[in-house]
Amino acid sequence: MSLRPFKTSTVPRFAGPANSVSGSSGAGLTPVGLRPASLELTQPPRGLPLRYTPSATLAARGSVSEFRRSLSGVAVGPGNTVYALGDDEVRAFDANGGVVRSWKVRENAACLAVGRDGRVYAGSSGRIDIYDAAGKALGGFAAGQQGRPADVSAVKVFRESILVADAAARVIRRFDSGGTERGLIGDRNKTGSFMLPNKSLDLDVDAAGVVYATDTGRHQVTSWTQDGAMVSAFGKFGMGRPEDFVGCCNPVNLAVAPDGSVVTAEKMVARVKVYGPDRALLAVIGPEHFDGACTHIHLAVDSNGRIIAADPVRRTITIFGRS
Amino acid sequence: MSETSTRRKFIDTSCRVLGFAALGGAATLLTKRASAQAVYQVDPLKCISCDLCRTSCVLSLSAVKAVNEFSKCGYCMLCPAYMDVTSQPDERGVPSGRVCPQDAMKRRVVGKEDLDDPNNNYYEYVIDEARCTGCGKCVKACKPPAGNGSLRLEIRYNRCVTCNECSIQIACPEAAIVRVPTPGMSPVETHGGPPHA
Amino acid sequence: MPNPPAGPPSCGGRASRPLWPLLLLAVAFASSALLAQYQKKPPDFGGIYAFPTPTHPEPRAAIERGLDVAMLAAGLGLAAYLILRRRSREGVVLLSMGAIAYFGFYRKGCTCPIGSIQNVTLSLVDPRYLISLGVIAFFFLPLVAALLFGRVFCGGVCPLGAVQDLVLLRPKTVPEKLERYLRWLPYVYLVVAVWFAGWGLPIATGASKVLVARRFLICEWDPFIGLFRLSGSFHMLAIGAGFILVGMFYGRPYCRWLCPYGALLSILSRVAWKPVSITPDRETYCGQCADACPFGAIRDFSADRATCVACARCYECCPREIVRLRREGIPAKRYVAGADARGAS
Repeated sequence: MSLRPFKTSTVPRFAGPANSVSGSSGAGLTPVGLRPASLELTQPPRGLPLRYTPSATLAARGSVSEFRRSLSGVAVGPGNTVYALGDDEVRAFDANGGVVRSWKVRENAACLAVGRDGRVYAGSSGRIDIYDAAGKALGGFAAGQQGRPADVSAVKVFRESILVADAAARVIRRFDSGGTERGLIGDRNKTGSFMLPNKSLDLDVDAAGVVYATDTGRHQVTSWTQDGAMVSAFGKFGMGRPEDFVGCCNPVNLAVAPDGSVVTAEKMVARVKVYGPDRALLAVIGPEHFDGACTHIHLAVDSNGRIIAADPVRRTITIFGRS
Repeated sequence: MSETSTRRKFIDTSCRVLGFAALGGAATLLTKRASAQAVYQVDPLKCISCDLCRTSCVLSLSAVKAVNEFSKCGYCMLCPAYMDVTSQPDERGVPSGRVCPQDAMKRRVVGKEDLDDPNNNYYEYVIDEARCTGCGKCVKACKPPAGNGSLRLEIRYNRCVTCNECSIQIACPEAAIVRVPTPGMSPVETHGGPPHA
Repeated sequence: MPNPPAGPPSCGGRASRPLWPLLLLAVAFASSALLAQYQKKPPDFGGIYAFPTPTHPEPRAAIERGLDVAMLAAGLGLAAYLILRRRSREGVVLLSMGAIAYFGFYRKGCTCPIGSIQNVTLSLVDPRYLISLGVIAFFFLPLVAALLFGRVFCGGVCPLGAVQDLVLLRPKTVPEKLERYLRWLPYVYLVVAVWFAGWGLPIATGASKVLVARRFLICEWDPFIGLFRLSGSFHMLAIGAGFILVGMFYGRPYCRWLCPYGALLSILSRVAWKPVSITPDRETYCGQCADACPFGAIRDFSADRATCVACARCYECCPREIVRLRREGIPAKRYVAGADARGAS
């Protein structure tokens, strides 16, 4: 391990808690006791085709719309409205960062999704609750097996199907709009299905209906058809190259962009990466933008390709645009 | 002569009675406050795995051991507490360095083993207490976000001699050693005050 | 300090409940907020794997602690009997060796009545401090025995005293001028130890960020606990070795000139009911007992109750005792006190 002086990033810093992420001590970047093998992990790698810079912040600390206790999910609705789940509420933000609508949801709701029609789906243990665009509760349905409620870590909507990630059974459940379970995705034999040492499964659907899911134990992003056939898998463990996923269980979150790029989030070195449709690494949004203690960074991509990243430790949402 | 001795005897007897009364009174007062035996334990939320547990215990092999809470453990192949994930990977891509300086962490595959791809295996991790010195390196490495935080340091009562004043408690920089009651006699709803304020 | 959650009401009082659920409960309460994002369900391996429960060895059971108190009471009773009724030095030696074996090497010297001074002080000062009935018994039983029979605890039961007693080779006498001041040391130590246990002085020690005010000095400067534990820091083992070395020539240095509990015992044994005494009407004024006593407790042909540690050496030298034992048919060896006086047998 050679020691190189850390170069200050040229990415503009945010107003906000500036203490935890600082390159010089590295204290906010890596957990106590562990250092990445090379400083390339903490510096933005050179030579990548794209660069993302933060263009806006929502629910900044100290603002009126700040989240006081928790921030557990983010999604993009019709018209590129950003919806966020936190403090047991769903809040919809307008382009200027003001809250347009907000309503209370079930306690300990863990994830949310927004459909094309503006309906909002909130997932909590063993249950999906559905709300209309104005926030009126439309009911919901139970998810999970008899005696073992689903550990809902992600929910997404594709046309008439509702896809629910069940981290307890390590499988994705597909429901129809009426709440009846129609099939399973990723259900290989017991030790062959998703390996989730961090007990969390994230998923997203692209425009063609291909389901992308994180397999954190294998350090892979896997993709599946709606019927459960595996399409592809990419990624591997590595501490050296920026393409690889670091540490124990990564990537922890993902989102799919309209052009087919996959955006992933990692913990231990808290960063967001963009892989193109051919799975080449296009961009890295470095650890200086996120708190080093993050165990998740919730992601969404709007129709313009801007990345919305929610930091649950700082409880802020940052929108990154291509520069 | 006899007067002195009777006076002497009277003084002796009255002092003795006074002594019994004082002892009896003090004993009654203390018995009212008596509670269960108290033992020392590590508060995992305050512990920073600073290595002082290994060196401060009066025993040469510290009574503090790392313990794996299996229900929280992720059973990862790439356990950051077992292997040094930043170390040089071997030919199968598994990092070769170990975190535990005593090699006290043992693992075995759970279920059917995939011999070709170790990434497909779940592993059960146990600590060999005869080797563990309580240094806390594995505990530190398992803390979130790198791990699930299933490892913690714990005082093991089959080794701890339950000193009146725990020398680890005196040395601990975070005041993470607490004195807790052993239920069984008269459980009292107080917290155990350590010798220091 | 975190408050552990109140335990459930005890069923039947003495039923022992395991400790670790209490602590894990506290941990789970506190950590559930911290790890709220983790649904704490372990991976499902499809029934091929049974999750082991982590083992949590139990601390010492209540019945074993009761046994300690019973052994202490039995030891005190036996010591009183051996010293005052049987007047047998051999019996006392055997009892001391048993005390070293049980209270010393088996229990590793902890808890002991000397240290219990600190627990009692702290409990009186701070009502929230947890003190167990066993420790209370350890504090009071030898004191009650002292009010009844003198310092029989020192003579037959205390393992620290027994170690010093057994290594005594050729007792020398300390000059009176020095002895006068040394005799006050136990009281000074008692006051200092009580002060540190109850109130203390804030002293920063080593890496600790917490200013430790209250300290258990008696425990930290216990001479022989390193020997009993067979491990210890250099300074503790050095102090132990030092006391053993001095103890070979000057009888029971810790007991006479430092032990704070001995200070308490000596106050109480002054008014003891039936302590070691020399009956004046059978006195031969031969002075053998005074020469035999390594501690200078026999002065002017009477036993100084405060100093006498009831070691029973004087009995084995007294010609009247020899005569009495011989008359009862017990063969008694004749010991000449003074230069040849030996501590053990």
